[in-house]
Amino acid sequence: MNGQHQVPLLAEEVPKPHSVPPLHIGGVSRARLDNGVDLMVVRRPSVPRLEFRLTVPAGAALGPSAAVSELLAMGLPLGTASMDQAELSERIQDLGGSLQVHQDQDSLVVQAAALAEAEEDLYTLLAEVVQAPAFPAEDLATERAKLLEGLRMARATPHFPASEALQHAVYGDHPYGRPEPGDTAVRRTGRQALLDFHHQSFTPWAAQITVVGAVEQRRTVARLRRAFGDWSGPKRVVRAPRVRALPAGDLQFIERPGSVQTVVMSARSGPSHGHPDHVPLTLATAVLGGGFTSRMMNNLREDKGYTYSPHARLENHLRDGLATATMDVRNEVTGAAYAELLYELARLCTSEVPADELETTKSYLAGVRVIMLQTQAGLASSLAQIRVHGLDHHYLERYSKQLQSTTAGEVMQAARRYLAPTEVTTVMVGDPGASEGLAALGPVQVRRTTRVR
Amino acid sequence: MVTALRAGAGRRHGDARGASPGPGMGMPLDRIMNMGKGEAGVGSLAAEAPPLSTYFLDNGLEVVLSPERSSPTIGVGVFYRAGFRLEPEGRTGFAHLFEHLMFQGTSKVPKPHFGNLINSAGGLLNGFTRHDYTAYFEVLPSSALEMACYLEGDRMRFLDINDETLRNQVDVVKEEVRVNVLNQPYGGFSWLWLSQYAYSTFPNNHNYYGEFSDLEAATVEDAREFYRTWYGPGNATLVLVGDFDETVARELVQRHLGPVESRERPHHPTLDESLPQSRREFHHTDPLAPTPQVAVGYPTAPFGHQDHLPLALAARLLTDGASSRLQRALVQERQLLLHIGGGPHYPIGDSFEFAGPALFTFEATPRPGVSTDEAVSALDEELAKLADQGPSDPELERARRRELSAYHANNDSRLGRLRELGIMAAVHRAPQLVDELPERFSQVTPEDVARSVRSWLRQETSSVLHWECSGSGGPGR
Repeated sequence: MNGQHQVPLLAEEVPKPHSVPPLHIGGVSRARLDNGVDLMVVRRPSVPRLEFRLTVPAGAALGPSAAVSELLAMGLPLGTASMDQAELSERIQDLGGSLQVHQDQDSLVVQAAALAEAEEDLYTLLAEVVQAPAFPAEDLATERAKLLEGLRMARATPHFPASEALQHAVYGDHPYGRPEPGDTAVRRTGRQALLDFHHQSFTPWAAQITVVGAVEQRRTVARLRRAFGDWSGPKRVVRAPRVRALPAGDLQFIERPGSVQTVVMSARSGPSHGHPDHVPLTLATAVLGGGFTSRMMNNLREDKGYTYSPHARLENHLRDGLATATMDVRNEVTGAAYAELLYELARLCTSEVPADELETTKSYLAGVRVIMLQTQAGLASSLAQIRVHGLDHHYLERYSKQLQSTTAGEVMQAARRYLAPTEVTTVMVGDPGASEGLAALGPVQVRRTTRVR
Repeated sequence: MVTALRAGAGRRHGDARGASPGPGMGMPLDRIMNMGKGEAGVGSLAAEAPPLSTYFLDNGLEVVLSPERSSPTIGVGVFYRAGFRLEPEGRTGFAHLFEHLMFQGTSKVPKPHFGNLINSAGGLLNGFTRHDYTAYFEVLPSSALEMACYLEGDRMRFLDINDETLRNQVDVVKEEVRVNVLNQPYGGFSWLWLSQYAYSTFPNNHNYYGEFSDLEAATVEDAREFYRTWYGPGNATLVLVGDFDETVARELVQRHLGPVESRERPHHPTLDESLPQSRREFHHTDPLAPTPQVAVGYPTAPFGHQDHLPLALAARLLTDGASSRLQRALVQERQLLLHIGGGPHYPIGDSFEFAGPALFTFEATPRPGVSTDEAVSALDEELAKLADQGPSDPELERARRRELSAYHANNDSRLGRLRELGIMAAVHRAPQLVDELPERFSQVTPEDVARSVRSWLRQETSSVLHWECSGSGGPGR
């Protein structure tokens, strides 16, 4: 199919909608506390609740190891000097609330929610959690055991080892190349390491708080000031080193005997938010593998039936983006599916995306953005994420215009720079038999074990 | 962290229940974006509920409208009362396979225009198949309301079922089963396998995802027959939520779904079966699993029974968050488990999805050195305590607040509101119940919870599935 031989739409009478309406994010207040905490408060009273995000630079790339960063995130909900984890959980639930902590390469995010009428109590509770975590030794031992078990389970999947190997291939010795904890590091990470990294990274000078919900902005800023105004910490803020893009490596085939599918993951380091190539490359990856109408979907799934959920996207880290294309294909079509993927990558680089296809992709990306920002939770998470990049709600509002003004030529240029078959590095994880014939498509390194470390 | 989220335990920390992939046409729902069941929120109830009206078209189609105009988006869903449990013998997996065919084009809107039209309007689409219904939805900018009504009416009337798309989607579904079940450790564990052991009759105990031989045997005539029988307007509910004017919406619904010819209402088979009289133990070997896990399933109170709502609260206070009974007793204090989760058909069901028998399920990961038998004994002890003493008042209040939170979070999301209304309407003919639930939960007493646990979470009716690793050095070793 490949978008070239479509049967025409026979129904002339299909009612046509207007174009996606421009996005407006109203009711935004910004403030900075004397101790440096950067606040953004958005009034969105759709339901009587609120969403809270606090980000600090405590991601895996910034700590002594990914294990320390991960255990720091797991350790925060374990309580403070005045309450153990069960009491903390009770008090959050008393507010009709929730608390989760997660981290990626760059940031650690404290994600909470509560009923709007419990707003002030939530901030008081979170201020204590953030400033004075206890990391009790016995509970920490349980979290280490959970993490080790989680990693064992992850390594038994085909995707985790593929992703680990691919990120190492793309980033080399940069911290982005080692985003997952190793067992030894997990075992060695004690309470003191968490206290040290917490002291270094949980500083008001680097903290950003985002609140979205049924709140009154000025009152909310005052409440946040009362709760977080006494927080103190070092002014020095750590950032990840710059990424130096590595040349594409050979295809790595990691053997997983007995696997009934091959995971195929291709990637290249690319631009992040704010870079002139960012929007064109976002469009190129979406044409390739975003949504139900992408080329990977049409060709590899709806035409060939090789795979269930092929997809491509541009992930955004602080220091770069990572353009990825991924699919799980049955063993016997591994080579054929890879050849089709290479064909689709090459096609993006050698011919302009036809106008109607580009228009569909632009509308899809703009529309999905509007839908994602419609909920308090979605808006809070998106704002928190782009604020880490030094951007704000105006960036989200402008995004749709930036999409509209991007030309097919710019999309093709971005594809040539970042998605050419000669630019991407590919990792496969699958049964040894599935690697047959791949050498005809380029150099292959076979690895006999899924163990990366 | 490209795939860390797929990795199972230990990747998100704090009080939250994870989403799991289930049969669906595209990506697993949890990967579309976090639009579904959220967390948190409370407040006074009925006054906050968006308006709701329900009516029927002459052709039998039930229509549920709930306008909420705070942002310029809509949700459109069609819920057919046709799920896994009415698949005939020899055609396991057919309900879900058919769901895929609903995206394969019609005589007027051929493949792949359906998805193109939705995406170029700036919208998302997907579908999911469950035990007693199959749902299709779009979330779109408001101006696409008429187009969405047109497209849903079109595929209710003119679906193009042909051998080429059928064979293509059989291949796709087999890849889906491979990626979600066969190539994953613990693939489909309690949500797909436990019911195959726990139930005794075919509608309840077959492989819902489908045996490959059955999927391959499916014919165009099977699909046409299934479409005729189960996909008529009298067996469906249309739900519209979000930014629209109700009068306009009624007109558009009439214009585009009114002309769908009515079909004979299908006969839904009886699903009930007798309860087991003693606990049964089953063993399943998974060559990919690195450590053993265990699941326990209890036939649970049906919709409408006095114990049904108390058991929903029991699920919360047993497993939700670090303060819940089982987390506290078995993970923190006794240090027997690394993880335990549970609830009605955990981890992909909820209390209201079932028109027939349902399982209340627990799934646990023992610590290294602890056997699955020890884990089950400890679970038995904790359930006995709750059955004897009931929950404390504050404990029950927290569970209610969590339910209320989920209610508000759902109302904030087009897909969340759509899903709740669609299930309650299609499965129970009671969409208004969605907005009444917070009030009904507030009337549940500690004694109600104790009684419901005593009556239903009973050892003698339960099925235990020991999920064992073979140690044979399967993939990944």
